[in-house]
Amino acid sequence: MGRSQKKGPFVDEKLYLKVVKQNENGTREPIKTWARACTIIPEFVGFTFMVHNGKAFLKVFVTEDMVGHKLGEFSMTRTFRGHSGNKK
Amino acid sequence: MPRIVGVDVPNNKPLWIGLTYIHGIGKLTAANILKEAKVDGTIKAGKLSEDEVSRIAQIITRDLLVEGNLRRQVSQNITRLRDIACYRGMRHRRGLPVRGQQTQSNARTRKGKKKTVAGKKGVKG
Repeated sequence: MGRSQKKGPFVDEKLYLKVVKQNENGTREPIKTWARACTIIPEFVGFTFMVHNGKAFLKVFVTEDMVGHKLGEFSMTRTFRGHSGNKK
Repeated sequence: MPRIVGVDVPNNKPLWIGLTYIHGIGKLTAANILKEAKVDGTIKAGKLSEDEVSRIAQIITRDLLVEGNLRRQVSQNITRLRDIACYRGMRHRRGLPVRGQQTQSNARTRKGKKKTVAGKKGVKG
């Protein structure tokens, strides 16, 4: 089920503040975060996030197409990449 | 055989079924179109007048995304998911179910025909 329109998208507040701060300073440092449930909003475009996948922080560079998705969607939590016999 | 938006519509079927031969039009949409065009859906497509055909075609081209355009949009959406490397995109790339279905068993539609592995689950030799 979708989220209620009234609430608007879920954005992790601390993360958002960090982005705003970096925008003011004009810096573009990767931001470490555990907030996988945080929706990507247009302000995030061009930033790099280090999104925790339960084990490590994976680099996620946010592009325009990603707006509306959640950060966690870009940081895979499973490692299976095929059986031994499979080529490719 | 009347041609509505491209190819379609068989002669020997009632119109409301015939319209569903167009990709992107199901029974409900067909019924809505016929209601708006004020055409009786139970008559056969072959008996339509020119005027009725053009009225239906007009409504479809005005309101709906059908056939090639629809197919293009769907594949574009999938390509977008693939390109941004999100979870759903990865599932599309790997040919696995996208919406969280189980894959330990079943999921044959996405995974294709069974690939038997020797020594697994009772297969001897």
